[in-house]
Amino acid sequence: MHDAKTKVFLRYFTSIIIVAIFVFPIAWWGLTSVKPISAVFDKDRIVVFDFEPTLENYRVTVFGYSKRSSAEDGKTLMGTSGNNSYDGRGSIVSSIIVAVGSTFLTTTIALLASYGISRMQFWGSQGYLNWILSQRFLPPIAIIVPLVFIFHDLGLRDSHTGLIIAHTLINIPLALLLLKSFMDDVPLDIDQAAMIDGATRFQCFWKVILPMIRGGLAATAVLCFIFSWTEFLLSLFLTNSIRTIPVKITTYVTSTGSEWGYISALGTSAVLPSFIFILLVQRHLVRGLTMGAIKD
Amino acid sequence: MVRLSPVMRDPRKKAGAKLIRLPKWLTSEHPFPWLFPASAMLIVFGLYPILYSLWLSMFKRNPATRIETFRPSWNWSKVFADDRVIDAVSVTLSYTFIALTIQLVLGLGIALLLDSDRKGFGLLRSLMILPLVVPPAVTGMMFLLMYDGSFGVISHMLYGLGWLSPTQPILANASTALWGVIIADVWQWTPFMVLIMLAGLRALPKDPFEAAAIDGATDFQAFFRLTLPMMSKIIALAVLIRGIDLFRIFDYIKVMTDSGPGTATETLTAYAGTIYFKNADFPYASTVALLTLIMILIISTIFIKIFKVRF
Repeated sequence: MHDAKTKVFLRYFTSIIIVAIFVFPIAWWGLTSVKPISAVFDKDRIVVFDFEPTLENYRVTVFGYSKRSSAEDGKTLMGTSGNNSYDGRGSIVSSIIVAVGSTFLTTTIALLASYGISRMQFWGSQGYLNWILSQRFLPPIAIIVPLVFIFHDLGLRDSHTGLIIAHTLINIPLALLLLKSFMDDVPLDIDQAAMIDGATRFQCFWKVILPMIRGGLAATAVLCFIFSWTEFLLSLFLTNSIRTIPVKITTYVTSTGSEWGYISALGTSAVLPSFIFILLVQRHLVRGLTMGAIKD
Repeated sequence: MVRLSPVMRDPRKKAGAKLIRLPKWLTSEHPFPWLFPASAMLIVFGLYPILYSLWLSMFKRNPATRIETFRPSWNWSKVFADDRVIDAVSVTLSYTFIALTIQLVLGLGIALLLDSDRKGFGLLRSLMILPLVVPPAVTGMMFLLMYDGSFGVISHMLYGLGWLSPTQPILANASTALWGVIIADVWQWTPFMVLIMLAGLRALPKDPFEAAAIDGATDFQAFFRLTLPMMSKIIALAVLIRGIDLFRIFDYIKVMTDSGPGTATETLTAYAGTIYFKNADFPYASTVALLTLIMILIISTIFIKIFKVRF
């Protein structure tokens, strides 16, 4: 009996330590974002909790105060040099527009296609699925050079619309396969019953299937949102003035030094919404990450 | 298009206004309208760019005059003779292999540990997910902050342990830089493995384990003789998805080291990006990027064939 108790204790202990290690970088990041500049850049020791928390970094990055006046308010000469391009509001707005737009476009397109694949038999359907799957594994770098040219010709370069299309492109395979797996869970009898009652395919989709996969649809939308929100490579190549948060944040690293306070404040603001969203759809997460291959 | 279709209307009101009857392939009874938007999108912005890329790779760019001439084999013979490509392939392969092994072993171990119905483990599993949704570019920055030579918390710990000297920060040293990036990748993606392995463990049947326990098998034997073989399908799937994502790594390298020091952490995708941004040699950048794609296709096809992965 005593032995079993020790075992349970050890299991709790190691589990907590390991999870703590994985949470630590996020916690440290959040802590850095409320540190005054002197605590972030202390070269002699690591400042953990012995500082006066400040929201200055959020004022500059999220609310757009100028960096210079922020430094002068704090009666410090530290951080008054350098440019004033630490206003992250534009990038937050861009990120929201692109993520919401591409989530909407992706789920709409993928919903239609997944119904077609899940409910209809046609020649080459397996080949079609394989093609979709191969798109998921395509390295974005392989299409980025022509995509820049094509977008330039179509006037989509450096525009929200262009980025929405690009993010939709990379999210379609995931959304399509995932929604297909949710639709496959709905028995075919239900369609047949509806069609015997005189419903058309579209009515069947809209009034019968769609309400039944609401949970799966929400999970798919959240994953699309998160993948668009975190995407870096396409945004980096396809935009110059419109910057999403992940690209904007890398511009805070300069040759004269990195403004860690501002970087962590904008980073924390970018991460928080994702945390809330992902915990909401935790139940479907495994299925989502494996594109429907594992039905948890 | 779909709304106009007469079959859309309530069939009880069949008689009435004469509507134009659409051909069957334009009605919702045919797969075409359902698949059209997705297919159009993937053809125009997915397939066409790849063919364009292939076409582009057949041009030789003169860096001085910026004139591109049609020389189909120029870039392709250059790519196989380029030492930087060979280095990039070896960096990419070691990155993929090392990170994948660590993530798989850690993921399986942590999943076994957290697979418990006791109080509190649900919360621990939820917390474990959090790294997954941090934008990779932000992850790169987090680790840059913690690796900083003068005030980084990880650097200070390593100095304290005597594993690292302040004159050689982890990312500034050619022999440790790749490990620095791998640690960031492991931090972000081990939770992915944990989640998938947890799903696999939960789906295991109970009977064989009870039978094994009656026969006096140790936990160790049960793990290697029962758990691992029964989870092999799921492990193969996780390795495939993660392996491909690792092979096309870009964000961490770009943000954390920008292929440096020198070219110590230059992967294939990072090299293609460098050619694009620094040399503006678009045909050669396309060639290197296509080489990455071809390697992914070959390796993943072989893997799928051997391990019979199905989606």
